Amino acid sequence: MQFSLSAIVLLGISSLVSASLTITIPSSGPLPNPHVLPATSHATLTTLPSSAKDHILSASLTRAATFVFDLPTSATAESYLLDIRSAGGYVFAPYRVDVAADGSVLGIWETFRGNPWDNRGAEKYVVDVAGKKPDDVVVEAKVVGRKAFYEERAKFSPLSLVKNPMVLLAVVALGLMFVMPKLMENMDPEMRAEFEQHSRSSPITGATSNAMAGGGFDLAGWMAGTTAPSPAANDAPQSGASGRDTSGSTRRRG
Amino acid sequence: MRLKALLFAACLSPAVAIYSDEVNHVDFHHALLGTPSPDSTFFLKPSTASNASLLYTLSDKLLVGAVNPRDGALVWRQNLSRSADSPARGAGLLRGLDGNDALVGAAGNCISSWSAQDGKLGWERRFTEGVVADIELLELEDATATSGVRDTIAVVGSDGVGIVRRLEGATGKTVWEYKDTSGDVPFQVSSSSTEVFYISLQSAMLKGYKIKITALDPLTGRQTRQQVLNTDTDVTTPESVLYVGANSASPLIAWTDKSQKSLKVNVIGTKEVTSIAIDNVSGSEIRQITVHAPNKLNSLPHFLVHFVTDAGAWAEVYHVDLKSSKVSNAYRLPYLQGQSVVSTSAIDANVYFTRITEAEAIVVSSASHGVLARWDLQTPPSEVALHSVSEVVAKGKSLAVRSALFREHGDWQLVRNGQIEWTRHEGLIDAVAATWAETDFQEDLAHELEVEGHETLYGAYLHRVKRHARDLQHLPDWLKGLPRRILSSILTDEVSNLDSFGIAKPVIIATKNGRVHALNTGKHGAVSWSVQVTDTTQWDVKAILSSPGAVTIHPSDGSSVTLDILTGEILSRTEPSGSTLHTIAVLATQDGASLTTAGIGADGAPATALVKENGILVTTSADGRVLGWISEDNKAPVWEFVPPSGQKVIKATARPAHDPVASIGKVLGNRSVLYKYLNSNLALITAVDAKAKTASFYLLDGVSGKVLHATTQTGVDSTQPIASVVSENWLAYSFWGDVTTDESSAKGYQLVVSELYESPLPNDRGALDSASNYSSVDTLPLPHVISQAFMIPEPISHMAVTQTRQGITTRQLLCTLPSSNSIVGIPRPVLDPRRPVDRDPTAAEAEEGLFRYTPFLEFDGKWYLSHARDVAGIKEVLSSPTLLESTSLILAYGNDIYGTRATPSQAFDVLGKSFSKLQLVLTVVALGAGVAVLAPMTRRKQVNALWKA
Repeated sequence: MQFSLSAIVLLGISSLVSASLTITIPSSGPLPNPHVLPATSHATLTTLPSSAKDHILSASLTRAATFVFDLPTSATAESYLLDIRSAGGYVFAPYRVDVAADGSVLGIWETFRGNPWDNRGAEKYVVDVAGKKPDDVVVEAKVVGRKAFYEERAKFSPLSLVKNPMVLLAVVALGLMFVMPKLMENMDPEMRAEFEQHSRSSPITGATSNAMAGGGFDLAGWMAGTTAPSPAANDAPQSGASGRDTSGSTRRRG
Repeated sequence: MRLKALLFAACLSPAVAIYSDEVNHVDFHHALLGTPSPDSTFFLKPSTASNASLLYTLSDKLLVGAVNPRDGALVWRQNLSRSADSPARGAGLLRGLDGNDALVGAAGNCISSWSAQDGKLGWERRFTEGVVADIELLELEDATATSGVRDTIAVVGSDGVGIVRRLEGATGKTVWEYKDTSGDVPFQVSSSSTEVFYISLQSAMLKGYKIKITALDPLTGRQTRQQVLNTDTDVTTPESVLYVGANSASPLIAWTDKSQKSLKVNVIGTKEVTSIAIDNVSGSEIRQITVHAPNKLNSLPHFLVHFVTDAGAWAEVYHVDLKSSKVSNAYRLPYLQGQSVVSTSAIDANVYFTRITEAEAIVVSSASHGVLARWDLQTPPSEVALHSVSEVVAKGKSLAVRSALFREHGDWQLVRNGQIEWTRHEGLIDAVAATWAETDFQEDLAHELEVEGHETLYGAYLHRVKRHARDLQHLPDWLKGLPRRILSSILTDEVSNLDSFGIAKPVIIATKNGRVHALNTGKHGAVSWSVQVTDTTQWDVKAILSSPGAVTIHPSDGSSVTLDILTGEILSRTEPSGSTLHTIAVLATQDGASLTTAGIGADGAPATALVKENGILVTTSADGRVLGWISEDNKAPVWEFVPPSGQKVIKATARPAHDPVASIGKVLGNRSVLYKYLNSNLALITAVDAKAKTASFYLLDGVSGKVLHATTQTGVDSTQPIASVVSENWLAYSFWGDVTTDESSAKGYQLVVSELYESPLPNDRGALDSASNYSSVDTLPLPHVISQAFMIPEPISHMAVTQTRQGITTRQLLCTLPSSNSIVGIPRPVLDPRRPVDRDPTAAEAEEGLFRYTPFLEFDGKWYLSHARDVAGIKEVLSSPTLLESTSLILAYGNDIYGTRATPSQAFDVLGKSFSKLQLVLTVVALGAGVAVLAPMTRRKQVNALWKA
């Protein structure tokens, strides 16, 4: 129905004026249904006026999702920039429309903003020099993309929580806390004895046991690497107890 | 490297985007139409499939709009004047029919058909013969009708020639044409179920007009008969004809005699003129007579005549006998004191009249005088209702009615069964000036602190203790509100109430018809009060100043009026000065605490001499000169700038009054500094030469008038908007640039940005070096200017810059885009003219935030401050700082009113919606629970370890 209507529209207009330009909007990736375009969408043909005539032509979106221009006659041939602007954020490719002095279309090409005007792109229509000039030129608009106006707010999802390194660290630490004693129980007694000796020599475990025993652990002294006169350090096989040593001994054990 | 640049561009853009859940929360929008015209406003069911109807109107601004009667939201709107060449004679015309998905509108020489449901264009016809005098939709369907869209009958008239055309409903093609070259004034067109009538006014012998009616065959357009009604010189102007009905079983034409003693009614198509004596029950003079009749073919041929006097109103209902065409009085709606409006609606053949007075709304049937439904109006109206349209719906046995009333001063209200459903403030469309009001809630405190500062130590201490003791009386209330406040702050969206940071400042808007409105920005821009200040239609407000608790409005006649911002009460007025002022300059006093105004005449000279504190003033005169003035002299300018011959000064801009500079230099990637050229007296002059098609931009020093920088652009269309702005050490302008003789030139809209530096070399301050003072008069060094041009996809009609409290936040260039009805805020870093051209940025440049220059600047969707809204007809955009450094308030007015907040560097000092207080509380609770569980476990383990040891 809509399309037959558009055909009638085109027929009606073309019989009335000397020449018209119709831009149809095909369905495309960013715009599957051209009928969703808001009614404020419009197309403009703009150029610098050579005379005081109309130099900005504007066409509203029709029911058939087209834009219809009645091209005026002018003193000289004009080269127009065709822009299509839509409130829905749809971006259309600009075209170059060359119109002869009698109002007939000479050619339509894609054009590139920020490039010289003579730098033409894909040809959309060009007049047949030998043949009869058609009254109505129909070209398809090209939808380039759609603008996104809004910022997506980060949604809360449990997965993102799992991905958080802090949470992962906490989970690993918790896991170790519960799993380690089980592992220790499964170790053979000899190995456990060795391990316990090592861990007792480790200053941290030593410190904890010291703290439990009521002794003061000299944290600053330990960090400075000095031999603290602590009871735990006295038990240690090496006098310079440090984190590095501990790790070394662990490696040896492994 | 390129990837890096792209990445940077990508991470730059989200800085300004709006979250979709913040829409309607941070912004408000009044989408306006203007004053609805009484005979082009109606309820209509656009589709036969659904029973839902929309409210359609054509306003005095020639905007066609469809309004949802449920909530008053605008469904669509179109501008009829955009396509019309010649200005419309009077208001435009809009016609529609139930179940017909096409509205036909006419303005000037243009007729257009619009889809009633979504506002898309059906067809458009422009006539070269003259302007459209009248249009009517043919309700009758005949064999020629091709589709469901009804045909239009249009009268196009110019001097002495009237052309009646039948236009096909779907295409606008002419079916037939009837030409009347008798020299009559083409007046109206009407139709009955069998005929089309062309009504013209024939000049009578002595004076006045006779009404000539030509009956036409609707199928062929051939004239079937012609009649001339004898009007006894009652009709002196086309306006004296009260009513011409259409689409009715018995279309009417009605007028009165000069003394308004009798009403003359003719059923169109008959020769007979019925004269009905007007029984003036009120005794006072009749001010207005309106005729209300249904315009449906199958409706009963009944009509109502409404008589309005200064004190009250009454109405008479008449019936038309279809066979004899006799008009008889049926009953009367009694005379009531006060204003009342009447409207007609029809259900099938039944006709109902709805009368709304100050106290009640009643519905009567046209057949008998019994009141079918009555509602008391809940809130007494404040303004006089001018006209209304109604829709009556039968619900079982009872009737429901909704009426759209247009009230004096621009409120459009929907009253449903006596209840006000919504109000559209259409009067705001005429906004000419606006400002944010400064509330004075802390004024008292500031005053008290001042008192304390001036007293003795002991006295000040006592005063303070007393003040705090007084404050204690608010403690119970505060404590009472505390739980609710905590609860609501956790549950509601808005994390912190930002009103106290100057976010929700009221907006004061002055309109052309002499009215001042206050909008509450905290409540979606609802109108909190509106006051008629003067009775005029051309209130030319030049400046509007706000001081704590009050606003002062300065129109061009030199008078001023001060209003209270909370109530709208007029606090004081000053009389007009007698001379008309061209512009009014707003000047800040030396300490910046208060603002004063200086009127400027058309010749550019200040009307009164400036006081010394005001410093300098740069003005433009009507004949295109730029003048510099110094205090205490309003006779001779200090300097004068005249552009080269052929050029005309069209615009002058200066740095905004509030334009703080956070840093005097720009730190480069290699830790050296480019010093900004900061001059608070910059003025950017735009001059165009329409013949040579050039636009020149002159940057002047306001004190000496010296040209600091000048540039000329070629191929410029001076009829298209040329916008410009100056801020800090940069300026920007945009224009339509066309192909010139230069081969590499492009066609399109361009935006040029220039930055001013003290010297081209980093770590160098040029001639002034470390001087603490400089003189504009002696040796003002010229700035080093770096410019860059961008091609932009759309014209820019107005430019402004976001303002923040300290200027630390990145600025945005606020551009009004008239062709896509939106406002875009372009981040300044994107517009940096130092972006490397034709190469990728070096590591140092990338560190600075520079990325590769591309000639085409596409507006990113996230830059759109108006996001998906259709903000039409904006003439001016204002920006104001708030107490939050991150946030700038934006207000746009002109046609629509749009207000929002901009956060160019993201809301870094506000906890946004993404910050969940609930989550924070839950985390703390979870941690607490974890400690409570783990503590005994650890203790047990330690004890065990001790035993083992």
